[in-house]
Amino acid sequence: MSDPRQWPFHTVLVANRGEIAVRVLRTVRKLGLKGAVVYHAADRGTLAVKMADHAIEITGPTPVASYLDGAQIIAAAKSCGAGAIHPGYGFLSENKGFCQAVEAAGIRFIGPTPEQIDLMGDKVRARNYVQKAGFPVAPSAIEDDDPKTFVERSRKVGAPLLIKPSAGGGGKGMRIVRDLSLLEQEIERGRSEGQRYFGDGRLYCERYIENPRHIEVQVLGDGQGSVVHVFERECSVQRRFQKIVEETPSPALDDKKRKEICETAAGIARAIGYRNAGTVEFIFGPSGEFYFLEMNTRLQVEHPVTEEITGIDLVHEQLRVAAGEKLGYGQNDVKSQGHAIEFRIYAEDAARGYTPTTGPVLVLHPPQGDGVRWDSGIVQGGEVTSAFDPMIAKLIIRGTDRKDAIAKADQALRETVLLGCKTNTAFLRRLIHHPAFVAGDVHTGFLDANPQIAAEPDMPAQTLHALLGAAALSTRPMRDVADAVPDMHAAIGSWRN
Amino acid sequence: MHHAFKLGDAEHNLELSRSADGYRLHLADRTLPIDLKTGADGRAWLTLDGEHHEVVIATRGDDVFVHFDGEAYQLRYEHPLKRLAAAGLGSAEDRVLAPMPGSIVSVSVKAGDAVTKGQILLVMESMKMETTIAAPRDGVIEAVTYDKGQTFDRDALLLSLVAIEKKK
Repeated sequence: MSDPRQWPFHTVLVANRGEIAVRVLRTVRKLGLKGAVVYHAADRGTLAVKMADHAIEITGPTPVASYLDGAQIIAAAKSCGAGAIHPGYGFLSENKGFCQAVEAAGIRFIGPTPEQIDLMGDKVRARNYVQKAGFPVAPSAIEDDDPKTFVERSRKVGAPLLIKPSAGGGGKGMRIVRDLSLLEQEIERGRSEGQRYFGDGRLYCERYIENPRHIEVQVLGDGQGSVVHVFERECSVQRRFQKIVEETPSPALDDKKRKEICETAAGIARAIGYRNAGTVEFIFGPSGEFYFLEMNTRLQVEHPVTEEITGIDLVHEQLRVAAGEKLGYGQNDVKSQGHAIEFRIYAEDAARGYTPTTGPVLVLHPPQGDGVRWDSGIVQGGEVTSAFDPMIAKLIIRGTDRKDAIAKADQALRETVLLGCKTNTAFLRRLIHHPAFVAGDVHTGFLDANPQIAAEPDMPAQTLHALLGAAALSTRPMRDVADAVPDMHAAIGSWRN
Repeated sequence: MHHAFKLGDAEHNLELSRSADGYRLHLADRTLPIDLKTGADGRAWLTLDGEHHEVVIATRGDDVFVHFDGEAYQLRYEHPLKRLAAAGLGSAEDRVLAPMPGSIVSVSVKAGDAVTKGQILLVMESMKMETTIAAPRDGVIEAVTYDKGQTFDRDALLLSLVAIEKKK
């Protein structure tokens, strides 16, 4: 639809904030449509509010609560004549009730159907559905299904396996079995631990994946019979179970494996007649085995790496299928070129256990150059507060290959200037120089196993001197005192000390 | 030396003086020729011991932020008078600082309350986790800075105890 008048909606309201609101608005404006946002007072000075054609203030007991208030958001959409709502990620993006309320108000929800949100939102139901449809889920055995055959069924799960109390949580009573001849003995121990900790000895077991990778596949469906995959993303570098670096292609896959995992994802989306952009997440073991983990029925934080290697604007595709268009192309039309890596720029102190930091954005010079994309909602003069998630920007690097992308990333991270609030850019540079990262040999426990990457390295004397000199000459009381004393006396003064 | 900057947990003493063509930086173990030319948008050119470096500098109150060689650093100017005063007063245990940014979940004491070491003073919330702040020693609460629901930054003064000297 090259003519904006052909769209069934002319204004799209973004029910989100920060970088993703800016990201969605960019495509909306590019298509000749009007963009609207809702915002809490804490976000008044942000880029999304400045960019939008309509910005409507919403309120709530906390800033986060206001973005979760569906009724206020729908009222805001009506007040500016928005015919569609884009939920971004997080907040209400996977909320079935919100999706239904939006549609009941006669507004299009830029996302899947409420039924699809519901199916994939319940992890157990999603897993059962996917398994029944013939796709791989981690082998498991639940004692309650048939207690008499539990040992036998557990043996079939295969080693290594993990025994967990059904009533459990927090790792208590969990046992890893690497030698199946010990299975019965370990089941008895697990049972007695479960009994002791939870007063319930029932167990279940599942295949244990050692040092797994997190690999996910981008899919696109039009809800009218067409589904394609848009290749995979490797998201194994995580801290506190959150991704911080994502890339595509995954260094773990060869062409055959890539085809297998990507087609599995597309098959799952096809099985539910999926409409919207979505992500199928897999756990990927060291010997190439992979199992369905979950499906996210929304745009993902790390979607830009996919856009960078395929040239597909995923937000544009979301808008098109929500408008009732067909995809209009097939799997063979989706091509990729080069390598892309995304770095989540967090306001946090890696050396202090990745604790969040806050502060004013006194100076912001985003990196620039060919293959450098900066997705951010903050501006110079703004403020990083503890009201929201500490992710302040995403730096996306495109290179001819992985080596080129890493080299470009190092340069871009060096050139990223943000003063007033500590960020993780120096930590990210240490990470991408680690031999295991360079080799693409990482797993989800990589950062926990290598805490030295997060630690502050010793500072070279020259750096210390430069910092003290720059600080001294930028501090008025020090400079004034120095300027007030003639050269000769100043030197004597320092000797006296 | 009267002046000092705090960088991380370390304090660095230094002095600045004029030279014929710039400044001299006097550190504990050496003196280095130095100069700084500032440009637009925080950009500046630092000359240190004959070497030139492009830096970006921003200041806010006593904080100086410097981007040097691809990394950002924060230094805090320590006022000479404040340092003198701090040396004569009670220990850091009299000031309870926020270990990380967050918000107050509950406050269980008020100014004037006598507390014993380990007693719960307040509960804060950060990163979706609650953290309990306990009294670092026996004493009397001098002031409580925040009410329930208020937010604060890292190192904010949450509450203060009356210094032992004052209590006598």
